[in-house]
Amino acid sequence: MGLVVTAALALTSLAVYNRNERRLLNLRVRELNLVLAATVPSIETPLASAAELAHATDGSPQKFRAFMVPYVGHGRQFASVSLWPLTTPRLAPTAVVGAAPILASMPDKARQFFAHTKPSGSLNLTGILGTARPSLGFEFSSAGRKPGLAVYAENPLPTNRRSALEGNNAFSDLNYALYLGHSRRSADVLVTSVKRLPITGRQASDVVPFGAGAFTLVVAPKGSLGGTFFKDLPWIIAVLGVLVALAAALMTDRLARRRQGAEQLAGILDRVAAENRQLYTEQRSISQTLQHALLPDTLPVFTGLRMNVLYVPAASGVDIGGDWYDVVAVDDRRVLMVIGDVSGHGLRAATTMALVRHAALAYVAQDPRPASVLAKLSDFVNSGSHDYFATVLCALIDVDAHRLTITSAGHMAPLLLDGEHAEFVALHVDAPVGVAGNSHYHEATVSVPPNATLVAFTDGLVERRGEVLDVGLARLRDMATRQQLPLDDLLVKLARELASDDHNDDTAIVGIQWQN
Amino acid sequence: MAELDSERPAEVAIDTRLDPAGSALVTVSGDLDISNAGTLEQAVASITAERPERVVFDLSGLRFMDSAGIAVLLDCAGKVNTVRLRDPSPAVRRVVELTGLTDVLSIES
Repeated sequence: MGLVVTAALALTSLAVYNRNERRLLNLRVRELNLVLAATVPSIETPLASAAELAHATDGSPQKFRAFMVPYVGHGRQFASVSLWPLTTPRLAPTAVVGAAPILASMPDKARQFFAHTKPSGSLNLTGILGTARPSLGFEFSSAGRKPGLAVYAENPLPTNRRSALEGNNAFSDLNYALYLGHSRRSADVLVTSVKRLPITGRQASDVVPFGAGAFTLVVAPKGSLGGTFFKDLPWIIAVLGVLVALAAALMTDRLARRRQGAEQLAGILDRVAAENRQLYTEQRSISQTLQHALLPDTLPVFTGLRMNVLYVPAASGVDIGGDWYDVVAVDDRRVLMVIGDVSGHGLRAATTMALVRHAALAYVAQDPRPASVLAKLSDFVNSGSHDYFATVLCALIDVDAHRLTITSAGHMAPLLLDGEHAEFVALHVDAPVGVAGNSHYHEATVSVPPNATLVAFTDGLVERRGEVLDVGLARLRDMATRQQLPLDDLLVKLARELASDDHNDDTAIVGIQWQN
Repeated sequence: MAELDSERPAEVAIDTRLDPAGSALVTVSGDLDISNAGTLEQAVASITAERPERVVFDLSGLRFMDSAGIAVLLDCAGKVNTVRLRDPSPAVRRVVELTGLTDVLSIES
């Protein structure tokens, strides 16, 4: 009797294992889909911003090149970006950043592609181009604009279209294949982790929307998703079951069986809790990876200035925040700094942040005066059916003249440190962008003492529950005044001391220090 | 100001009233932050669905509010003609001032 129960238990456990594996695999494919979908803005928004810039500047190749350069090259979003006027008799790009586009060597294909793209306000895909070095092409046309200028980008597919996920990646336990469109033909594969297609065995698939098109994602576990414990569970139960059955036969002691059952259950619950903790940690690492992908990875090097930035994710929760920063060189003596915070949390706030961030950069390329940048940004946010707002601080820094022109859209004033003194820059705070009816912004111009340091930040650094904001601001000022540290150490010190342990908001800090 | 246990989620109490003349009164008390702003968001959504002319937020019992609370108030301001904040505490008033919103969310004390 005991052995029959054991066999039944082992079978049930095997069925549960199989069901759990399927459920976990479906969860993982959805997670991976989410991560892929979240990378769309990092491709789409620079191209969308470049398209707006091209329209606003009548297709100026210089403005286009200056704006696109930071996005092109090894380890960046694109291998090649080009600007194509579509109304000229001969179809050819007027500006190219990075590698020469393959599409330019295929006039028939180019004509056909641009004739069919619609100004939809989303990405159009070319399909796989070229045979020697196959690439994928993307085109963006702004919605509601007459077709006339197209912004086009190309990225080569990895060699042999194979790329394994990094070992420390949250998805490194999966094999995957990503296909163009809704196809699963080997010819349409963009990238995969396996040598031979198709992927066989237990698998799950999902469709990833991408601009006007889509990708199909197929994943399969490399080993067991639930960890080896779940895989071994049927055997563990079988072995334990035999012991239990023997004990029962020998002692017919029901109490002993019950106790063993309870202990076994407690053990399983512990393992499940451990698995949950691991999933939580992985989710958190995905969020942080994404956030870093959406923020600039390098700052410009500028003679006469030392600059550094720090991003601190929220201490708890798996959410992505909406904080961002940018520091860009305007010309050889001016730098523009932007720091902001999009309302809300999660993936939506992060993708909105990417949209607002790139739009701001496009407006900076048009005219770097802070009030002008924020007025255009406000119109941009108000023009859509957006229900978010963003606080933004925008500062134009004239390095040699030691002068700062600064505008705030609902954002806290930065701290200006000068040796023993620290004061918040006096400025008129206008309403955040996205608040209807406001498109006029005030500028303040401030003289900066020699060797001064400017510290701009988001509210996570000063906001604490149960406290008037001024208390947090005073704490920051006092803390900054007491330090005589190099810039990098100062930012780390401020973040460590002030972003309190229980903070549930992310924090960004930008430090800019004059070297004379 | 009372010591707050930051480990616990903030607690907020919300009471909404709609009068036939087309004015709504939303009383918010406690602490409002990112952990519970969603509760206020739902309450405000049910009020704005009735299309009132103006919404008055009575904040006399609200000790603390962060930018997540501001987002809910702004969202409401985008949907009705007038939004007024009644009797906010200094902590809440400063958040509104420092966010440059005194013109959009007018304060009556």
